[in-house]
Amino acid sequence: MSLLTVSKLTKRYGRGGKTLAAVDDVSFHVEPGETLALAGPSGSGKSTIARLVLRLIEPDGGGIEFEGDDFLALRGAPLRVRRARLQMVFQDPLAAFNPRATVARVLDDPLRIHGVASRSERPRRIAALLERVGLAAGLAPRAIHEISGGQRQRVAIARAIATKPSLIVLDEAVSALDVSVRGQILDLLLDLQHQERIAYLFISHDLGVVRAIAHRVILLDGGRIAESGDARTVIDAPQSAVGKALVAAAPRLDRSRP
Amino acid sequence: MTALASIRDLSVTYRGDGIEVTALKNITIDLHAGERLAIIGESGSGKSTLALAIAGLLPLSSKIEGSIEWFSLPTLDAVERRTPKSHSGQNLTPLLGRDIGFVFQDPSASLDPVMTIGKQIAEVARTHLGLTWQQAYAKARTLLERVRLPDPDSALRAFPHQLSGGQKQRVAIAAAIVAGPKLLIADEATSALDTIVQAEIVVLIRRLVAEDGMTLLFISHDIALAAELAERIAVFRHGQLVELGKTAQMIDAPAQAYTRALLDAHIGLDAQPLLNRSGLNG
Amino acid sequence: MSRLRRFLRTPEAVAGTLLLAVLFAMALSASLLFPGDPQAIAGPALLPPFQDWSLPLGTDRLGRDVLAELFHGARTSLAVGLAAAAAALVVGAIVGTLAGFAGGLVDEVLMRIADAFQTVPGFLLALAFVSVVGPSLGVVVVAIALGTWTGPARIARAEVLSIRERDYVAGARVIGMHPMEIAFREVLPNALPPVLAMSSVIVAAAILTEAALSFLGLGDPNRVTWGGMIAEGRTVLRTAPFLSIVPGIALVLTVLSVYLAGEGIVETTAVRRGLS
Repeated sequence: MSLLTVSKLTKRYGRGGKTLAAVDDVSFHVEPGETLALAGPSGSGKSTIARLVLRLIEPDGGGIEFEGDDFLALRGAPLRVRRARLQMVFQDPLAAFNPRATVARVLDDPLRIHGVASRSERPRRIAALLERVGLAAGLAPRAIHEISGGQRQRVAIARAIATKPSLIVLDEAVSALDVSVRGQILDLLLDLQHQERIAYLFISHDLGVVRAIAHRVILLDGGRIAESGDARTVIDAPQSAVGKALVAAAPRLDRSRP
Repeated sequence: MTALASIRDLSVTYRGDGIEVTALKNITIDLHAGERLAIIGESGSGKSTLALAIAGLLPLSSKIEGSIEWFSLPTLDAVERRTPKSHSGQNLTPLLGRDIGFVFQDPSASLDPVMTIGKQIAEVARTHLGLTWQQAYAKARTLLERVRLPDPDSALRAFPHQLSGGQKQRVAIAAAIVAGPKLLIADEATSALDTIVQAEIVVLIRRLVAEDGMTLLFISHDIALAAELAERIAVFRHGQLVELGKTAQMIDAPAQAYTRALLDAHIGLDAQPLLNRSGLNG
Repeated sequence: MSRLRRFLRTPEAVAGTLLLAVLFAMALSASLLFPGDPQAIAGPALLPPFQDWSLPLGTDRLGRDVLAELFHGARTSLAVGLAAAAAALVVGAIVGTLAGFAGGLVDEVLMRIADAFQTVPGFLLALAFVSVVGPSLGVVVVAIALGTWTGPARIARAEVLSIRERDYVAGARVIGMHPMEIAFREVLPNALPPVLAMSSVIVAAAILTEAALSFLGLGDPNRVTWGGMIAEGRTVLRTAPFLSIVPGIALVLTVLSVYLAGEGIVETTAVRRGLS
């Protein structure tokens, strides 16, 4: 059974009297422990799909099944409880946290909300989470705006894994990072996936990164699926127009290695 | 090779609230006339500060040491500008907009949201070329054609919000080059765009620079992108120049470990997959 | 530390703060320096100022000590002004946050209520409320707050509408935070700065409204108020103008100091926010 099954998902926006389909009849599934990448140019609907799957916005049609349940039927408290299993990491780790927050508070919230640990136990859990993502436990009292971008993204990942999710949506989660930091974050994500069998829905416009870490890829164009399949097969020989354009546009570094 | 500008021992310190942050330390670079030079670095490397210093756009509170000497530029009337004092007797000072075109990362921020595209470009043409409004608009239309904006006539009357991100960046480039500058500075000008649009803008910049014989200073965090566009690459880190050399030599045989690390961190379409497929056993 | 230094570099802010400190000192020391009822007769009626050094500012029509009244009046003015402004800011921030965050029907209902309050001039509203309920300190506070809360509410709502769309609010929803906790713990504190920036104007306006109500005889009759003193002196304006002028000057200085100090604080914190 698939972990996540999205069927005929549709989201329209009204603009100047016209309705525009941001996501148009999109169906896919994610298996446990798998990385499925959604790639495409801006306006292709990949971020809208991420937000639909997370129930941050409501679709105009279609269904989302998560861990065997009709995810769209959940409301209020049952939905909030189920959110423990479906997490997200944003592109800009600075924007993803309350500007007044400290590292400890950011990690305390999910533990408290989902009753993962008692109040007295939580500081220890927070320290363990920080260590799990490669940060020093001493970072906990620091303010979010004081730490570096790479550290922030690690904190974001720590928050996402705090409630032991089965699926994490990574919305351009490494796109805004410095290249030297990006590699480390990708390694961390792969290590977590390997250890905890977490599935990723990896949203990116960077085909190089997608090819390096995704099992399967879906190429989107204008809210529709243009092409999908094994990540390396699709990217090495794209069939769709948008796939060819994306591959042609990727910057190449022709190094004649010694 | 003729020099356009020579930067000597340039240091920039930002001051505010009793704290001093050194953004650039003793930078010495020559800008050759007509070359395409890329400045590469991660956040905090000082690459944008260098761009702002060359363009004379540093905030008034910043402390600037060292010199930028300009060659082959018309002498200007004294304009109060934030550029390092030139030590040479010539004292040439380039004027932003006329002698230097600047393209920022976020085109929405550099375009006036309540002014038509045509007027924004025409205004630059009027200011620096002394044209009448009619001539300036004609010039703006030619420029919109040159940056390959679809339907330049209606674009003249359009407002920025009616254009896509890539189209806005084309307009920003048009406004930057309308006065025929010697130097075009593109500060992360493609970073906010998706890969396809980024590639189109890079093609556009390359063509415009070649056609007008401009010098290009291309500021980027992406070494692969820079390598595709530039003839020389300068790598910056923590406000210092790590390495400067011809692109082919920098890519194939970098002298510095940091440059090599940047190259290794690039994940291209031919990169070895990081994925451990045994992780998937469903 | 640097915030304090920047604040001290603004002369008008320092002047306002010093003046405000003097007023607070007056209010706090009123019952120490002038124990007993300030409304009791202390000497001959209509004694001009600077004649008798035991009654430096003279006496009013009924022989009450003007200086004692001035000190006790400072207490009422500041207390009512601050309490009314605080009530208006708290109610406004909560209503604005709820409206902006919930949106839809809740927003419609709350904002139409705010419209209804705004169509009636604040002073008339206060006047009507005190006339109906009867004058007492608490009622005056509520009456002034009734006409003032809509401004903070609208500003808070506008701010919340933009904050609501930020990633960190989406992030709070993703971790399953309750909407009420998101609204009041995540959103409201970040929406406060522009609301608080209004506080000096609101406090100053509240002090003036209180004075106006007292002038019309709708203040708490058991307390000395500057507005009441001005009204009291009105009847003998030609023969003893100082009776109206002295509390009038006190009122002007209070409003001015509140405004200057408040602006100074807003300015320094705003600069700090801009930098960080």
